[in-house]
Amino acid sequence: MFDELNDYRKKIREFALKEFTEDVSKKYDRNEEFPFDIAKKALSLGMIDMENPAKILIAIEEMCRVDAGLGISATLPYFGGEVLLLFGNDGQKKILNDVYQGKVMLGLGITEPSGGSDVAGLKTFAKKSGNKYILNGSKMFISNGAIADYLVVLARTSEEEKRHQGLSTFLVNTKLKGFKATKLENKLGVRATNTAEIEFNDVELSEGDLIGEEGKGFYYIMTFFNISRIYVAGQALGISEGAFDKIKSYVKTMNLADEQTMFDVADVSTRIEAAKQLTYNAASYLFKYDPKPELTSMAKAYSGETAVYSSEKAMEITGKSPDESIQRIFRNAKIMEIWEGTSEVEKLVISKQILKGD
Amino acid sequence: MEDEFELLRDTVRTFSEKNLDEKKIESEGITENTIQNIASQGFLGARIPSKFGGSELDEKSYNIILQELSKYSPSVAMRIFILNSLYYPLAKNTELESTLSDASSGKLNVTVDFLNNNRIDGEKFNGIVHDILNANSNKIIVFGKNPAVVDGGTIEEKDFMGFRGLKFGDIKVDSDLQYLNTTSTLNDVLENSYNAISSINLGLISGALDKAMEYSTIRKAFDYTLSSYEPVAFNLSKMISQKNILENILNSNIDSFYALNFSMNIIVETTRYALNVHGGYGYFSDFGVEKFYRDAMVMKSIFYGNSELKNLSEHVFGNKIRFI
Ligand SMILES: Cc1cc2nc3c(=O)[nH]c(=O)nc-3n(C[C@H](O)[C@H](O)[C@H](O)COP(=O)(O)OP(=O)(O)OC[C@H]3O[C@@H](n4cnc5c(N)ncnc54)[C@H](O)[C@@H]3O)c2cc1C
Repeated sequence: MFDELNDYRKKIREFALKEFTEDVSKKYDRNEEFPFDIAKKALSLGMIDMENPAKILIAIEEMCRVDAGLGISATLPYFGGEVLLLFGNDGQKKILNDVYQGKVMLGLGITEPSGGSDVAGLKTFAKKSGNKYILNGSKMFISNGAIADYLVVLARTSEEEKRHQGLSTFLVNTKLKGFKATKLENKLGVRATNTAEIEFNDVELSEGDLIGEEGKGFYYIMTFFNISRIYVAGQALGISEGAFDKIKSYVKTMNLADEQTMFDVADVSTRIEAAKQLTYNAASYLFKYDPKPELTSMAKAYSGETAVYSSEKAMEITGKSPDESIQRIFRNAKIMEIWEGTSEVEKLVISKQILKGD
Repeated sequence: MEDEFELLRDTVRTFSEKNLDEKKIESEGITENTIQNIASQGFLGARIPSKFGGSELDEKSYNIILQELSKYSPSVAMRIFILNSLYYPLAKNTELESTLSDASSGKLNVTVDFLNNNRIDGEKFNGIVHDILNANSNKIIVFGKNPAVVDGGTIEEKDFMGFRGLKFGDIKVDSDLQYLNTTSTLNDVLENSYNAISSINLGLISGALDKAMEYSTIRKAFDYTLSSYEPVAFNLSKMISQKNILENILNSNIDSFYALNFSMNIIVETTRYALNVHGGYGYFSDFGVEKFYRDAMVMKSIFYGNSELKNLSEHVFGNKIRFI
């Protein structure tokens, strides 16, 4: 599935190397600015083929290999799109065409100030009133939050049932009255991405804004995570490979040949290969509509840890010759263990799945 | 005697809580006012003899100052470290002694090319001195065949993720080279600084753990505080015990090689985990925890490489070891 796409991979890599120069990467990182032009260009040139998930994975990996801040920004306008694709109505799905062309930006609002790991504990409420829903509450750390046109939002619609059964998903137009986004600044890494805190103050939603059925939101989002975590594994894989590119080039330029460094080179490359096999294996099940949540979570957690490990090794090996681009890789890597389910949450998913059944 | 050390620790802590806001220091640099404050407390010239305006403190007191300050402001601790552990030992008994009193009072800023990425020889130097931390210094000790000093110059700042309160970058220098009449080398000076380096490490570890411990007992996930979950409680407990061991190693004056080695082995993992406990909040500077991870990684990568491991192994094997 992936080998056939080698030419596509090459094309993406060339694009990323041309567009994500050190100066450009540095600029967006320093200014914490979203790279609208780059994101649009990537989409409008058809660089990212949103209709083929294997291509999305490769695009994410290759772009993050060059610069994760820009690579994630360029591939994030579609964030949450699968929820619409799988569960949305025709009108909602239509938006996706504009997303594919870089005309419309999406985002996904799950996490709240009081918690992200415990999704079913969320408090944002959409109260039914006639044929409308009135949305109140707040969301935290929402990527694209201050620049998105629409957010896919998970909210509580009922108190009575079991916590996770009372949740529903909505497509929220960010221009609606009562919607407020505040950009959050001073992130450690992935600083080109936009992150915001969102407040909903009596935002009036129509019944047509409900995605799928009421009360099924938790299930939709868990289905979504089983897809999106593969893409995060791809981001992490890209970061790891980017770190390893730096290690290799440093070791060669400096003519390092001591055994300690050779062992580091061997360890980092072994882990990256393992992360890659795991990610592609999990992805190949998923993309054949046979997702294996435990494999997906293994891929996400292991690749995330590999990104952190590789970037720390790159820092150790090159540290006495400080290099901004390597420090940026290090700063970017840590998010891989946090978003889309922390490593701890992934481990809970893995063990639960593995111990289930016989 | 112990009481005296505890008193000093309390004094530094109280001072830091009141005067040092690392978030502000990271964005604005260490202000003149802060420099004056740390100088008047006697922290700036901690190890420098009183005849040069310093506080002439013993090593243990100096380490306590570094430990406590780096919990609050790693940048301030680093500036003190550069002056006392690197500049002073190279400058003492040389022509540079005359700069020590101004350096202790904060009138003069000084630094050392301890990353050693430049080779500078000759009588005059007109060119770029690369990769200097605390770059806005009036005097920079550089290395070629021998240690020498040059005057500071125009800085081209580079983004450096650690100790952001200090400027980092390349400096355009046009200055005479004044050779230092010393037998000390950069390697000697660094080797003699292992306890000071480990003290900064201990401060970073303690600062990060203090935040994580506090957060884990307040923040709830799945209805319970984070500290009630085994992975969080076990990891933090393990890290607290390692921190206590490091404190004991430093207090008991065991070999400084061991303190360096032990602190470097736990510093990145501990500060990373402290960030991790904060979830998404940890990734933002507001909670003041991500800086410890950045600074820790910088400490490990600049003060603990192959040469330090070789030093340690030679120490353990008694110079009998040969490296391929
Ligand atoms: C830059 C950035 C972008 C983001 N983008 C989005 C987005 O677009 N949309 C969105 O919805 N969210 C987004 N997030 C939020 C992210 O998904 C959450 O931060 C993450 O899920 C963790 O939630 P939390 O921050 O509330 O941490 P908490 O849930 O409070 O957890 C804190 C720590 O405790 C650990 N923990 C919790 N429970 C347990 C347990 N039972 N056992 C062991 N350990 C436990 C966690 O693993 C974590 O280390 C983003 C976050 C960041 C930083």
